[in-house]
Amino acid sequence: MRWCCLRPPLLAALAALVLPAAVARADASRPIVPGFERFHTGDKADARGGQLLLTELSCVSCHQPADASLPRKQAPILDNVAGRVRLGHLKKFLADPQSVKPGTTMPNLLADDPDRAAKVEALVHFLASTGTPKQERPDTKAVVSGRDLYHKVGCAACHGARDADGQPGKNLPADTVPLGDIPAKYTLPSLTAFLDNPLAVRPSGRMPHVVGGKEAKDVASYLLQGIKVDLPSGRGSTTFAYYEGQWDKLPDFDKLKPSASGTGPAFDLGAARRGNDFALKFEGVFKAEKEGNYRFGLTSDDGSRLLIDGKPVVNNDGVHATATASGAALLTKGVHKVAVLFFQVGGEIVLDVQVEGPALGQQPLAALVAATPEALEAKPAPPKKPADQDSLEVRPDLAEKGKALFATLGCAACHQLNGPDRKPIASALKAPALAALKGEGGCLADRPAKGLPAYSLGAAQRSALAAAVKAPPPLSKEPAAVIARTMTTFNCYACHVRDKVGGPTEETNKLFQTTQPEMGDEGRVPPPLDGVGAKLTLDYVKQLLDRGAHDRPYMHTRMPGFGLANLGTLPEALAADTLPAAPPVKFAVHDAKVKATGRFLVGAQAQSCFKCHTFAGQKAEGVQGIDMTLMTRRLRRDWFQAYLLNPQKVRPGTRMPAAWPDGKTFYPDLLDGKTPTQIEAIWVYLQDGPAAQRPAGLGKQYIPLVPDKNAIIYRNFIEGAGTRAIGVGYPEKLNLAFDANELRLALLWKGAFIDAARHWTDRGEGYQPPLGDDVLKLPAGASFAILAKSDAAWPTAAPKEQGWKFNGYRLTPDDRPTFQYALGDLKVEDFANPTTDKEPALRRTLKLTAGKATDNLYFRAAVGAKIEGAKDGWYLIDGWKMKIEGGTPIIRQAGGKSELLVPVTFKDGKAEIVQEFVW
Amino acid sequence: MTRIARYCFVVLFLAGPAFAQGKKPAKPDTEDDYYKLLRFELPPGKVLEAGAIEIMPDGKVAVGTRRGEIWMIDNAYADDPTQAKFSRFAHGLHEVLGLAQKDGWLYVVHRPDVTRIKDSDGDGKADVFEVVSDDWEINGDYHEYAFGSRFDKDGNIWITLCLTGSFNSNSKFRGWAGKVTPDGKFVPVASGVRSPGGVGFDAEGNVFYTDNQGPWNGACGLKQIVVGGFCGHPDSFKWYKEKEAQYLGPPPLVPKSGSRIMTEAKRIPQYVPPSILFPYGKMGQSASGLDCDLSGGKFGPFPKQLFVADQTHSTVMRVSLEKVHGRYQGACYPFRQGFASGNVPVRFGKDGSLFVGGTSRGWGSRGNKSFAVERLVWTGKVPFEVHEMKAKPDGFELTFTRPVDPATAGKAESYTMKTFTYIFRADYGSPEVDATTPKITKVAVGKDNKSVRLWVDGLQEGHIHDLALAGVRSADGQPLLHPEAYYTLNYIPEK
Repeated sequence: MRWCCLRPPLLAALAALVLPAAVARADASRPIVPGFERFHTGDKADARGGQLLLTELSCVSCHQPADASLPRKQAPILDNVAGRVRLGHLKKFLADPQSVKPGTTMPNLLADDPDRAAKVEALVHFLASTGTPKQERPDTKAVVSGRDLYHKVGCAACHGARDADGQPGKNLPADTVPLGDIPAKYTLPSLTAFLDNPLAVRPSGRMPHVVGGKEAKDVASYLLQGIKVDLPSGRGSTTFAYYEGQWDKLPDFDKLKPSASGTGPAFDLGAARRGNDFALKFEGVFKAEKEGNYRFGLTSDDGSRLLIDGKPVVNNDGVHATATASGAALLTKGVHKVAVLFFQVGGEIVLDVQVEGPALGQQPLAALVAATPEALEAKPAPPKKPADQDSLEVRPDLAEKGKALFATLGCAACHQLNGPDRKPIASALKAPALAALKGEGGCLADRPAKGLPAYSLGAAQRSALAAAVKAPPPLSKEPAAVIARTMTTFNCYACHVRDKVGGPTEETNKLFQTTQPEMGDEGRVPPPLDGVGAKLTLDYVKQLLDRGAHDRPYMHTRMPGFGLANLGTLPEALAADTLPAAPPVKFAVHDAKVKATGRFLVGAQAQSCFKCHTFAGQKAEGVQGIDMTLMTRRLRRDWFQAYLLNPQKVRPGTRMPAAWPDGKTFYPDLLDGKTPTQIEAIWVYLQDGPAAQRPAGLGKQYIPLVPDKNAIIYRNFIEGAGTRAIGVGYPEKLNLAFDANELRLALLWKGAFIDAARHWTDRGEGYQPPLGDDVLKLPAGASFAILAKSDAAWPTAAPKEQGWKFNGYRLTPDDRPTFQYALGDLKVEDFANPTTDKEPALRRTLKLTAGKATDNLYFRAAVGAKIEGAKDGWYLIDGWKMKIEGGTPIIRQAGGKSELLVPVTFKDGKAEIVQEFVW
Repeated sequence: MTRIARYCFVVLFLAGPAFAQGKKPAKPDTEDDYYKLLRFELPPGKVLEAGAIEIMPDGKVAVGTRRGEIWMIDNAYADDPTQAKFSRFAHGLHEVLGLAQKDGWLYVVHRPDVTRIKDSDGDGKADVFEVVSDDWEINGDYHEYAFGSRFDKDGNIWITLCLTGSFNSNSKFRGWAGKVTPDGKFVPVASGVRSPGGVGFDAEGNVFYTDNQGPWNGACGLKQIVVGGFCGHPDSFKWYKEKEAQYLGPPPLVPKSGSRIMTEAKRIPQYVPPSILFPYGKMGQSASGLDCDLSGGKFGPFPKQLFVADQTHSTVMRVSLEKVHGRYQGACYPFRQGFASGNVPVRFGKDGSLFVGGTSRGWGSRGNKSFAVERLVWTGKVPFEVHEMKAKPDGFELTFTRPVDPATAGKAESYTMKTFTYIFRADYGSPEVDATTPKITKVAVGKDNKSVRLWVDGLQEGHIHDLALAGVRSADGQPLLHPEAYYTLNYIPEK
């Protein structure tokens, strides 16, 4: 909402000029000034646009403007430039900036100079004396994370989407700020340092600060991944195939089509194009120098598998945190095929492969494999020296000449560089004052004369500059004009709309993402800035503009920091937004009572604000609105009063509901019963910031279900028992979980039954594990099967796919269930009950009624690494024991495991099997 | 439950004794004068987050809860709600969002299946739990709710299956509406469901459900379920290949994101545009349960109209429908606010009073109670309301519950009309767009003084027509209790 209604014609003009952004132009190498591209490329000579170019192209660095308030853009500071920028790039760039970096605002100072090569050489020698960049190779994890950051935090809003390789995307809008060939220009440490504090080098804030520390390095890694580190031509390489999709275990790679493939560093996850939902298959060969047993270790997050000669050796499948599995294979001397399969769902990405063998200490397998047998034998290439063009022996005579050129060519007019005397080199170039220019010829000529900067201007730029020079538009100090000018200059309009100008375009809209899709655009797109000065305090506006912020936990895009000094009077201009002042509130009670009332209103007995707002870092139940304890630091009191009174009026379409509908309170007994007083009480309460006493009801609960006389049934998502789990807690302190998807007993445990808080508070997401102890996990899969022979494999198809159906349960008067399920006319009644005769045990009775075709029916009573028969019908299974009555069990080996099968024999159409579990 | 209201806050009515006992109402004419809200006292220490209500043949009222219990209310119709008695009939179910009784069984629609339960030994507790149908999938996502209706005249229960996480269909038949037939088969009937909040029938037995604001839903809506229909959200299309759905043929065309509802309805023959859109923030923010007043006048002057709850606003809204161009459309009106919690199920009782259940867990509501069971009773006094707003080729016809004052009701200045619509898109929700201000050119009061004809220049097909009737007075000089109505004009009737 905007309450101040200043709207000079400029804004109307801007509004009219919002163009479809993607316009391919002939003058492709013209300097790109995003505000000009978006708002000033109409047919008419646009003096406002020209005025923008006068600052953004640094015309006013040479041509003194009459109006001193015309801001000056500081070009990059070149102290230590050679410590940041590769010399090879500098050399090419100085010789022809526009061809090396199309769209650059750097003019060509040597366009028609016959001595260009020599002068460039001298300049490079001079600049080279300022330092040498450090080298480092981008890390693959950082590349993936950096790609994510680049597209989420806001880089892409100005610089456009880029592809998986860090290269510019296709069909970018015309106002995309180009980045040039970044790997040619920067090294990883130097780009990281730049992103960490761009204002140190570019103090004018056109490139604001968004990411720091590790995140800066991640983004730099993404943009620099194209640095060609020599691919291993011999050992250390594998082929890779890359797949995208959602899986919860390793997919069947043979049925998938890779979206990319090639040869690269062995087992290198850098082959991935994104951070989640992908799979990779690496293949290569390994030479066993000796025959013997080789042990392979596979550490991964998420799942992985290692195969030797096509046979699985290590299985580390499934969605999991970093976990290691190992396995061994007997290898003959010679070359063997190695394959490593990997898939990733989300979160951390880890893959490490180790090998240990005869006369082979444990070490990474990557160094010992190669993509092909030939490559395995190839001699490693000698390490390459740094590219010649980036190294230089500085010649003092040339450097001295370069220093002189730096002053005389005009470099020093825009760029700051301290000479050996620690003083900035002064420009020796003299140029007429801006007012003395004619607006034609000179720098604006189609081909500027030797010695003049050549900007490679486009036609619209040329005519706009001419118009601005001939008839300089007045620099209005009206707030609306200041705001519009500043927002255009700093490209705030890429993200924000104000007065119906700017904001994401149709093309850029999709770049804005949220963690809370259900908040809609409000949670995704940076907020409109109408009325923002009436909303935020002046101090907070200054802090935001200066250092940036990430106050909205649901929004990926962050507010960048522009450096307050660059923004002139913008904070004060924004502060001209006004709201009707909320009358002061006087409380009749002391402060503690006021705060207690505010706390009550925020809490669970009243408005439960924390259900949708973070509170002092504590996450909300559903959407994660801005932290309430930040509010009094950010917001103006008048706005807070107006917003709480009528959210829809202040922010149409907001999810924030009206807590005082039509301004009426429903707490007539609180304080004086007036709405503004009650809103004020919340305000006062929140002024304690993160130290505010927590509102009632905040935080997780604990809801243990405790069986008393009767059993308790708990149907929900239970970890290890599936989506249709039926937990049963018995008064005897034994518990079970039945999996109604697979019709099997899934878990047994002792002690406490279950904590229902996960499902009975908030929305109830996810799986809850047992609350008690000694959890015995029983094998997944069908419990019954018809086998042609007693050694036939146990079927792997889900029981429901085999035709089994869950029919429900009956309860005893004390709520103990008998589960019922059937395969056609074969019916099973499944009743488990604790016995506490000697030791705690669970006795399960399965009563079967025969169907038409139930010959060769087997019950799988147990699966374990090792099952042994003991006396009196007992079996020992991996440290626990089971008794079987009503059958003659057989122990068999299958798939590396032991199975205990009970052939079901019907008598008069009935059969009964009893299982007793002691664990 | 629905995506019910993403934002939160719970407020409004208060439960406190000061309000309940009340001072004298400041204005004589309030909702409370016409419809009394009675709050049941729930068993102390128990949590009855109501998700479903059913009226039992023995006079009891059954309440199913999100915690998987079913409670019976005895003496539910007593004038003094504190005289009602609650007893637990069943537990251990998984978010009960549908109850329907038949032949001594209580059919429960909960997350994993439809189960019918009964008390076979007469101890007041269910002891038989028989699975009737479980032919849909769930994957552990909280949003995969299953809402169920009562029985239709053919003995089917209608089910709406919420999307996974309310955006995608990651499990079989998520985003579908279907019916469970008397022989226990689940028959998928319509795709495109997003986040339902309730399913029920109109007076003729047509099936309607509410869907919530979100992707492909610019605002909450009331939608008709027809065989082979598509309700707007295309992620459910992947299940047309399942054998149960193959009788419906190939999936419809995918709607174009950023389009308009009626543009797509003309392009995609299966797409059934929402019969009612509830203007977001104005009428409600999370449409939920619905029921039709078949009491024959015991609930006041709105027989055969639909009553639809809103979870966020803790309200019950009113809906009138008419068939235009072969599809149902109509108007919604504010009806009653001030419920104690976030309303989800509504069901008319035997005496024509409306039972309303609420929960505000996970999605906040204006009603500040975490849960509630209430009963709304007509006092016998007829409020002055727009009875029905109907579309005409050149305007609208209004009927009123009481005679109007012809002088005010016959004046164009007594009315203002605005129109707008929502973007039909894959993104969450939509702003109001394409606003217009049609002109009311002529007004005529009917002979019986209970109807008014409005001639409107500039009707907008596909727009909500927001009518304010600030100037209209009743014959005895009263303003309307709710001087507003919102007509979803998908189709303009032909002359």
